[in-house]
Amino acid sequence: MTAALRSKLTGLLVACIAFAGIALGQSSQTEEGIPVTDPTVIAKCGGCHARDERGNMQRISWQRTTPEGWQEVLKQMILLNGLSLTPSEGRSIVKYLSERQGLAPEEAQAVMYDIERLSHEETGIPTENLRRGCTRCHAFARALSWRRSAEEWRLLAERHTARYKLPPSQEAIDFLAKAAPLHTPEWDSWSARAHASKLAGRWLLTAYIPGRGKYYGEMQVDPSGDDDFQTSVHLTSVNDGSRVVRAGRSAVYGTYAWRGRSKGSDPASPAPDDLASEAREVMWIAPDQSAAEGRWFWGSYQEFGFDVKLRRASSDPTLLLLDRSSLKTGTQANRVRLIGDHLPTPVSPADLDFGSGVAVRRIVSNTQDEIVAEVAVAADASLGKRDVAFRHSVLPKAIAIFDRVDYVKVVPDSAMAAFSDQTHGRGYRQFEAIGYQRGADGRPHTDDDVELGPADVTWSMEVFYADKGSNTDSVGKVSSTGFFTPAADNPDANFDVWIIATAKSEKNNNGKPLVGKSYLVVTVPTYTFNGRRYVRDLDRWVDEGPAS
Amino acid sequence: MKNSLLTLLAMTAAVLLIPRAADGHHGLAAFDQKTVVTLKGTVTDFHFVNPHAVVEFEVKNDQGQVEEWKGELSSAGALAARGWTATSLQAGDPLTISGYRAKNGATSLWATKLLLANGQELKLGGGN
Repeated sequence: MTAALRSKLTGLLVACIAFAGIALGQSSQTEEGIPVTDPTVIAKCGGCHARDERGNMQRISWQRTTPEGWQEVLKQMILLNGLSLTPSEGRSIVKYLSERQGLAPEEAQAVMYDIERLSHEETGIPTENLRRGCTRCHAFARALSWRRSAEEWRLLAERHTARYKLPPSQEAIDFLAKAAPLHTPEWDSWSARAHASKLAGRWLLTAYIPGRGKYYGEMQVDPSGDDDFQTSVHLTSVNDGSRVVRAGRSAVYGTYAWRGRSKGSDPASPAPDDLASEAREVMWIAPDQSAAEGRWFWGSYQEFGFDVKLRRASSDPTLLLLDRSSLKTGTQANRVRLIGDHLPTPVSPADLDFGSGVAVRRIVSNTQDEIVAEVAVAADASLGKRDVAFRHSVLPKAIAIFDRVDYVKVVPDSAMAAFSDQTHGRGYRQFEAIGYQRGADGRPHTDDDVELGPADVTWSMEVFYADKGSNTDSVGKVSSTGFFTPAADNPDANFDVWIIATAKSEKNNNGKPLVGKSYLVVTVPTYTFNGRRYVRDLDRWVDEGPAS
Repeated sequence: MKNSLLTLLAMTAAVLLIPRAADGHHGLAAFDQKTVVTLKGTVTDFHFVNPHAVVEFEVKNDQGQVEEWKGELSSAGALAARGWTATSLQAGDPLTISGYRAKNGATSLWATKLLLANGQELKLGGGN
């Protein structure tokens, strides 16, 4: 699905929710609205959204949402209602509404996975009615990326009942009015203390790229206008030392919502997962502007990306990451690379602390950017995650101590990939095999299990119901690095597939290699049902409208 | 304006009425729904995932050979609503499972009933 189409469909929902009441019935707001004072918003929106003596604009003043939410509303006003805007006016309106009627950082943080286009299993939905009522069609985060007055939520539910034939749900109104009200302590607090974005300078950057592992480096942020920035990024792979150089531009909404674009300094190759590819950047900046995290993503289904974390550089010695994720008990002479910034030279073993049972035997090498230490792990060292410290710089839960690998988990544990057609590119999928140890409860697949990092595995695939060992090339191939590529020819059918990781050395209690599996559905990019065309979007299907 | 809005609402209604792929991405055409088979076996793995949870289990056939079977259940979301978790079935658990076997003879079935060793029935979700 094209970005424009996706935007169009999302906008249909947003615009319907936001503006249906204007034509179909008047609301009776009892809560205090948020006055609109921006001349451009008043001029461009006031024709339909009457402004009262307090400055409240009909419907608009009783809603808050993300930059994406306001952007989609504007798109729909242009598309469906003939609103005429210059690009500059559009940016100005989105910026104003995102700042004056946006989300507080805490509110936005909870729904970032939707904005970052991550497939996410939503587990916090309180009741089955809400789950079925909302998530059959969109992520629950889509609803929670809005804040509305109780009257606005009532109107929303009323429209759903009347127009979408959903059963009336006072439960949904009550829940959303309570969980996502217009006025919140978080918003009141943020509105009072929000300040200008002061992000210029050098930032330390760590990233994780599924299938490629850990990266580290820095990002230079330079102002290029009011809340606009230019960026220059240098990253180095922990695994193979390869380097990535990117440059980009970004806008920041409400001083914490980073929305940018960047690409590699070298042209991207045809490989779909090339790290020089142009990417959208979505990041959440901590309210104190000392750190940020988010995702830079690309691909037909936004399936590729850097998971990034930034912290503001300082002159203090700072640990960034370790090259290893775990150490086994009863082992000697383990070499661990500790990547950092402004590390002094020389350092001594006493400067490092891996916790009890892990002794730093010697420093193998040491520069301003890294320390290579040799450590020994006692046979009776406590199992589990532990912090690693260099003097006052601490990396929380940086390394796991384990005595055996109990199982291998393939992530994601379920996924979709897509064949291509004339208008849709292929949807790929990168898998990873992660080793785990049972936690304190002694049971696998429970919350206290300890992640040990990537496992050394061989990859294979198995199509459901197909004969074992039969050729699966007509469905696709999984590479030696766990990268699944759908077949070039669209067979016009869906396939259920196991993506299988078999450990090269770790075995179960029966002496068999540990095996992990992921359930992959390889599917068509579009299908027609009852005269309408449906297109794939992340983990759901979206109605594209009447089939032509 | 009115026509535009009605069109918008109609299109939006269609969007909102689409069932998620995760709630049932394929039918039962691949399974022989005329015959229910019942098997006793031992769980080797359990995948609590969408679009279908899957239990893998071993069964000793009449010749005493161990066969590897797979039982498809409904989605993890639907099962969770019935109290299932990722540890509802664990490797080593004995089970009795009934369902429709794959038409092509594969050792796969679409589960319709699932009993633990103590006789407790684990309720299956929609589609099962």
